[in-house]
Amino acid sequence: MSIRLAVGQGSCGIAAGAQKVANALRPLLAGSEVQLGTVGCIGMCWLEPIVDLYENDTLKARLVRVQPNHAEAIAEAAKSGDLSGIAELVIQPEDSAFLEQQTRIALRNCGIIDPESLESAKAAGAYSALGKILSTGMTPEDVIEVIKVSGLAGRGGAGFPTWFKWNAARQSAGDEKYLICNADEGDPGAFMDRAVIESDPHTLIEGMLIGAYAIGAKEAIVYVRAEYPLAIRRLENAICDAREAGYIGKNIMETDFSCEFRIKAGAGAFVCGEETALIESLEGQRGMPRLKPPFPAQSGYWNKPSNINNVETFANVAWIISNGGEAFAAMGTEDSKGTKVFALTGKIRRGGLVEIPMGMTLRQVIFEIGGGIRDGGTFKAVQMGGPSGGCIPASLLDTVIDYKKLAATGAIMGSGGMVVMDDSTCMVSMAKFFLDFTAKESCGKCVHCRIGTKRLQEILTRITEGEGQEGDIELMEELCNAVRDGALCGLGQTAPNPVLSTLRYFRDEFEAHIRDKRCPAHTCTALLHVSIDAEKCRGCTACARNCPVYAISGAVKEPHEINADACIHCGRCKAVCKFGAVIVE
Amino acid sequence: MNQIHFTINGLPCVCEAGASILQAAKLNDIEIPNLCNDESVRVYGACGLCAVEVLDDGRGKPVPKLLRACSAKVMEGYVIRFDTERVNRSRKIALELLMSDHTGDCRGPCQLNCPAGTDCQGYVKKIAGGDFRGAVGIIKEKIPLPASIGRVCPHPCEQNCRRGLVEQPLSIAFLKAHAADRDLAGETYRPEPAAETGKTVAVVGGGPAGLTAAYYLRLKGHSVTVYDAAAKMGGMLRYGIPAYRLPKDVLDREIAEIARLGVSMKNNVRIGKDITLEQLRQESDAVILAAGAWSSMQMRVPGEDLDGVTGGIQFLHDISSGEGEIPDLTGKKVAVCGGGNTAMDACRTAIRCGAETVYVIYRRTRSEMPAEEIEIEESAEEGVTYKFLTNPAEIVGENGRVKQIRLQIMELGEPDASGRRSPVPVAGAFETLDVDLVIMAIGQKPDTAGLDGVTLTKKGTVAADTATFLTNLPDVYAVGDLTNRGASIAIEAIGEAGRCAAVVDSALRGEMKPYSAPYYSQKTVTAEDLAGREKQPRCQMPVRPAAERAKDFAPVNLGLSDETAVQEAKRCLECGCHDYAECKLIRYAQQQEIHPERLRGVKHTPGQERRLVCIERDNGKCILCGLCVRICDEVAKQGILGLVGRGFPTAVKPEFQDPAAVAICRSCKKCALACPTGALKIIED
Amino acid sequence: MQCECTKQKSDLSLLEPVLAEYAAVPGSLITILQHAQEIYGYLPTDVLYRIAECTGNSPARVLGVATFYTQFRFQPVGKYLIMLCDGTACHVNGSARIAAAVQEYLHVENGGTTEDGLFSFSIVACLGCCSLSPVMMINGDTYGSLTPEQVLEILKDIQAKEAAE
Repeated sequence: MSIRLAVGQGSCGIAAGAQKVANALRPLLAGSEVQLGTVGCIGMCWLEPIVDLYENDTLKARLVRVQPNHAEAIAEAAKSGDLSGIAELVIQPEDSAFLEQQTRIALRNCGIIDPESLESAKAAGAYSALGKILSTGMTPEDVIEVIKVSGLAGRGGAGFPTWFKWNAARQSAGDEKYLICNADEGDPGAFMDRAVIESDPHTLIEGMLIGAYAIGAKEAIVYVRAEYPLAIRRLENAICDAREAGYIGKNIMETDFSCEFRIKAGAGAFVCGEETALIESLEGQRGMPRLKPPFPAQSGYWNKPSNINNVETFANVAWIISNGGEAFAAMGTEDSKGTKVFALTGKIRRGGLVEIPMGMTLRQVIFEIGGGIRDGGTFKAVQMGGPSGGCIPASLLDTVIDYKKLAATGAIMGSGGMVVMDDSTCMVSMAKFFLDFTAKESCGKCVHCRIGTKRLQEILTRITEGEGQEGDIELMEELCNAVRDGALCGLGQTAPNPVLSTLRYFRDEFEAHIRDKRCPAHTCTALLHVSIDAEKCRGCTACARNCPVYAISGAVKEPHEINADACIHCGRCKAVCKFGAVIVE
Repeated sequence: MNQIHFTINGLPCVCEAGASILQAAKLNDIEIPNLCNDESVRVYGACGLCAVEVLDDGRGKPVPKLLRACSAKVMEGYVIRFDTERVNRSRKIALELLMSDHTGDCRGPCQLNCPAGTDCQGYVKKIAGGDFRGAVGIIKEKIPLPASIGRVCPHPCEQNCRRGLVEQPLSIAFLKAHAADRDLAGETYRPEPAAETGKTVAVVGGGPAGLTAAYYLRLKGHSVTVYDAAAKMGGMLRYGIPAYRLPKDVLDREIAEIARLGVSMKNNVRIGKDITLEQLRQESDAVILAAGAWSSMQMRVPGEDLDGVTGGIQFLHDISSGEGEIPDLTGKKVAVCGGGNTAMDACRTAIRCGAETVYVIYRRTRSEMPAEEIEIEESAEEGVTYKFLTNPAEIVGENGRVKQIRLQIMELGEPDASGRRSPVPVAGAFETLDVDLVIMAIGQKPDTAGLDGVTLTKKGTVAADTATFLTNLPDVYAVGDLTNRGASIAIEAIGEAGRCAAVVDSALRGEMKPYSAPYYSQKTVTAEDLAGREKQPRCQMPVRPAAERAKDFAPVNLGLSDETAVQEAKRCLECGCHDYAECKLIRYAQQQEIHPERLRGVKHTPGQERRLVCIERDNGKCILCGLCVRICDEVAKQGILGLVGRGFPTAVKPEFQDPAAVAICRSCKKCALACPTGALKIIED
Repeated sequence: MQCECTKQKSDLSLLEPVLAEYAAVPGSLITILQHAQEIYGYLPTDVLYRIAECTGNSPARVLGVATFYTQFRFQPVGKYLIMLCDGTACHVNGSARIAAAVQEYLHVENGGTTEDGLFSFSIVACLGCCSLSPVMMINGDTYGSLTPEQVLEILKDIQAKEAAE
């Protein structure tokens, strides 16, 4: 009987202390039969650090929120097989349900295999799909046909049919072609690509190799964010192992198929998620989008036919080849096939990575899988699609997850960020947050985006600071439509979405800011009015002592008062008042 | 060759396959607006101005997105438009966005404050180069009577002249008079009228407004007749302005230049008496009413109907026309009521008629007087006595004739809505002066007798549309003192008449284009911004000594010398953009109504920094089209210029502001020549 | 006039191995800049010039590329680079409070470096650890689920460690 302890060590897990846990376990297990292993991220981020106890490769217990001081008890339990000493660490059934309600394809190995071991990946089936293609004589056209049958669409945001892009690149003349993986995951609030690379890099490599085979590329490049150092390291390592094992390089698996692999680290520019900007960046230039046409499939990297897909898209490919396009297409809706990974974050009780078949409702994901709003708050909206997406209000929670249905709400599927907001979130400042982001990330090339997003951001800033004017809403709408129509690339064209969708569902909040100079969520500090309830105040002086601008006065044991002119609405008085006497409105 | 057929804005076009829509349009002599495109470099697609809508892709379907004409290929059967509402909206916002981050003065503040929009900077520059005729050519684009106007205009241009922030404004009006005098004395600038159109225009009134309208319509090839009730043409310039300010021969020669073009001039014809408006309308394709404002306003004080009480305009007219005798005022006491320029003309004229004492009665103080400072100064030198803070309460008569004027003493109260402190009577305080003549110079109003069927305003002026200048009658226009707000300065009337002439011309050609004020980018400049400028005092106009000039009607001013004029012209700071005529941005911006101020926000910092050998760059004017960078890179193969930073703060910079960049630059100037705005300026050393 | 940039003197020999490996490879400019920043901690101007010279790019282009990407710095940074995430999830979960705590404790602005040169502080785009929001990264180590109190502890620990050395 083999016993194994696997410590989840994705970036999140490590940030939560997984490495310290592993370091504490290592000496305790030395010399014993219990093996200590590393796995990637299982996606249950709110429970990190997580240690899985395997008996003969079967999960016996999942231990959550493990701290280094639990190491001794865990080691003891693993050695003895008696788990009673660590019962409190074992995951609760309702938390386990988080995983049980999912259908994992792209994430199938994440948190289960050792991301630094080719053997571990192979045991889970890595490279068998590639082997199937190369050994059964499937032609590139056959591969494209399988992908076509599967209905797989680009998971990076636009949802363009993958087979179509592959076919276009395949059909383009020339024998120098490139296959590029966009791992420049820039949407704030999305991290599934990082998780896949950190947890299961061979699945990405295999998917890319199949893509390269399909379009006829001899070189594959992964463009990955520099902010993902662990992902880069594990991917480098995996490429090395795969090359040694004959999956990368010349005559892969002893066939005529050859493909080289390369990693290129991005340098911090959201716009490089746009495929032509990404190509400019790959060529060592400023990441400014090119005009389309020509499309990359005709003229891309070094003006050669190029195909670009994102990580999650590639992560589905090997599974589709192994299980058949029909199996993938059997999941999902008429319009959207297969599964989609979402990064569930924000004011959610169970935040993490969720992979579900298309066709589930938002309510199911947020309330059944995610457990609803944390800290007793009330659901207000879910932001989907990041800076290109929009906010979906409570009234539309039963919307089915599918490209068209989501687009109809004004949001988009996007890369899968799902940031849940409760009633403490101000939707105007949310819109401002996204415009701050896009204005900062605009490459500055085209007028509509460079100046248009800046002006939108300025108007929103004005509104949140209480300087909103009558007509600002209409001006923003006009500007939004113009930017959407006139911007050069996807970043600019979609930049107005967060404004338009919040205006659509939360117009009253904008009006409250502009007309009544009031922030209903009490977050826009310039619009807050802070006062002390004389009935409740005991004159403890805590507020006066903590006020950074000395705006509070009053004698000891007498009710205190706030000088409204001096107050900067920082809320510290409210935080320190033990009697609930500070009123913020 | 594969020819494809398509339409642009409804015009059938043809070109070879493979061309972009922009190229295809150009091949068919159609200009689609664009700022960042240049055939010598690769397509860039930044400005978005070339957006077009394809209503039919040749297969019966519209293309859903707007296309950038610079990159989209034209296809067989395309129905392309760049004048649809959607395209116009997109272009309008693009221009507003660009202008919201464009800091510069398209035109100098002098020109923007000139009611006629005269290109002061342009003609001053010609004068600085000694080219007086060239200067007159520029002036006459807006003012057909420059020698006269140069002498009498209260020059709003000088008010805004930025030299005033350094020491004193340029003497723009006198420069204009000087250039015009020199032009009249030499080989006179004489534009030729366009080919005859066969259309006829009747102009009622031969003053500055009427003559201006006649001049520009005649230049457009229309047949123009000016009717005036007086014996000679010139209106207020002749009958309201005393000869010591504007010698009649100067005016005569300028009017002769207008007549020379073929403008027919008919004097002693009073509308409603000698000819009716209806007759004029039947005889002409258009009628322009420009009869001025000739009736003096009344003060409504007791005794106003006494003998020896007259209106300012009446007084000046009688003297100038020779109709009434030049009154001998020797030993007489005269009171002139009012503080404007007519009051000044009246008091100084009274002095010249020999009056022993001339009072100017004004209810505020000197600093509130609307008259020009120089007039007040010179009149005081000539012996005029000012009675500030007094207001006529009663004109006391004896045997039906003026004997005394009783003045209410005033004091200044709180400022009114216009910011001027309004005078209030001091209870019970009066002063009485012995006078023989009282001249009421407190304003004029038009005499609209004879203008049958024309709708008037509440003020009794003719109501005219501010954009079309049309009255209620479909072919009758009206301009100048006669209309709307009433009497103002001559250059206002000239400006209006010039704009009206353009509207009438367009109407006569079949499609009326109402006037709309063009958009100009303007920037704010303070004295600190100009602190580094060397001070150069304003030229002084030599004048005859007060004792001498007070005795006759010969000109007060002796005129500038050529040297002084050239020197003075060189003081010009050249505030207006050097590239106005070539600037594509302003050309497109003026093609539609834009309001960049609604999109105001942070801007790139303006400033002229001499960066490279022969190129001066103004960051505030740069629109980041990238043409200079691309041309330096792709055409000049130098790569000296680059885009630095990203997003809104992006800027064009030579490498590290390094002297090495100066060494690399071959002064090919291609960057500056390609710049669609005035951001890059070639320095000629 | 001699500008500051040409006065800078960096040890350019450190760069040579990087240039030897990448200078001739087309499209490697960003990679070279990344390596240069690893070597020098930032991108000194004379280094940019050297890179331009060896890669056949004009200095204007090298500066243009370097200033386009947020990863590149043109001033030396502190020994510890604090990168505070301001992604959506962190924003919603109060990254502003964390920023205020860091700024107040270290007296440092966003993008600035403390006077002792120990810390640089930078608010960055999403670090991809959204479930642990708010998150910050100090020299590659990620810290999640932060509270202002925890941040101060982390910073004090570093200061104590440095003082001990």
